[in-house]
Amino acid sequence: MKTASVKPMQEILRDGLWKDNPIFRQILGICSTLAVTNLVLNTFVMCTALTLVTALSCWTVSLLRNWTPRNIRMMVQTLIIAFYVIIVDVVLKAYWPDMNRSLGPYVGLIITNCIVMGRCEAFAGSNPPMSAFWDGFFNGLGYSAVLLVIAVIREGLGMGTFCGWPLPYFSTHWDKWIIMVMPPGGFFVLACVIWVCRSIRPREVKK
Amino acid sequence: MTSRSFYAVGYMFLITAFFSTLIIGFARGTQNRVLVNERLAFEKAVLTSFGNFSYRTDAEVNRLFQEHLAQSPEYGKAWVYRKDGVLVGFALPFEGKGFWAPIKGVAAVSSDGRTLLGLAFYEVNETPGLGARIAEPFFRRQFDGLRLRSEGLLELKPEGTVLSEGQVHAISGATQTCVRLEAILNEQLKDWLDTMRREGRL
Repeated sequence: MKTASVKPMQEILRDGLWKDNPIFRQILGICSTLAVTNLVLNTFVMCTALTLVTALSCWTVSLLRNWTPRNIRMMVQTLIIAFYVIIVDVVLKAYWPDMNRSLGPYVGLIITNCIVMGRCEAFAGSNPPMSAFWDGFFNGLGYSAVLLVIAVIREGLGMGTFCGWPLPYFSTHWDKWIIMVMPPGGFFVLACVIWVCRSIRPREVKK
Repeated sequence: MTSRSFYAVGYMFLITAFFSTLIIGFARGTQNRVLVNERLAFEKAVLTSFGNFSYRTDAEVNRLFQEHLAQSPEYGKAWVYRKDGVLVGFALPFEGKGFWAPIKGVAAVSSDGRTLLGLAFYEVNETPGLGARIAEPFFRRQFDGLRLRSEGLLELKPEGTVLSEGQVHAISGATQTCVRLEAILNEQLKDWLDTMRREGRL
């Protein structure tokens, strides 16, 4: 496979975190965004898992890109992604079983997360391994940043806590918005976050 | 088949073998730890189903379980709970097919077999936010002290229904999970209770 001209690190960082943010620009990985963001701790673990899987999958796909036949590249990418996801799942099962139970099937569903496959296909297949690694890593961070903002809002308004710790005012005087920790709450907060982020740089959308 | 096709097939075969070997090795390396965790989850579910145990650490769970629960052949697969030598009840493990994946749990039954003392789960992979809510306290607490009927031991009725003996509320939006849970509980509880009554143990 051909190697594209190496993208500068600053550009990779800016694209992943902001300009092409997977959540509020590309609207990818929304299933897990809505599902796991009712608790900050669960969200943090899910984000760490996705960031690691994306970065390592992109690195591996890039490493093998010159030997991988083009007609079977997506099968190979899926296999590589599944490999890293299973490793994360086994680590959680063995060392953090409670978290494994809380996240339920969502760790396994990282395999089908469009962000991972999207970065492998769009970037890692035609860039050197370290650039691909950082591209995956910063896209994972971009996903994580948005999810954590959503989770802090949902857990705070819905339960009055942050990572399970009671928040002043919200745990005592605030009339808890139960809907925030239920699936519809995820839609509301996600929509607000996308609206705010796109309002900050509206010209990019118009282009 | 062209040589390019052979290359693609051979490449896929090799790469699959390589990554599978790594996963198998890694899973074997952590197998014992996973088994210990699964055992602990089961013990927690048994203690939770009786509702009167409090614990903070995993070691406490293990200690309480060893001290108060034992399995004896005459009660089949149920764990017997005795307090100061007096029989309090039985923890009956159950499992069956849920909507997406197996549901595994424990039903605590009183010593006369007529009342459920509680219900707890140690494996649920149903739809998060819907079917998975069967493991949440608001749903499980409905089974605490639930009087079992002689026919069709218990029933899950739609939310808002006025309940009578042996009935609890199902979860809206989780119909398939609730229907399956009801069937699993009725079938497995009935089998065990019938056997125990036939053998004169209850």
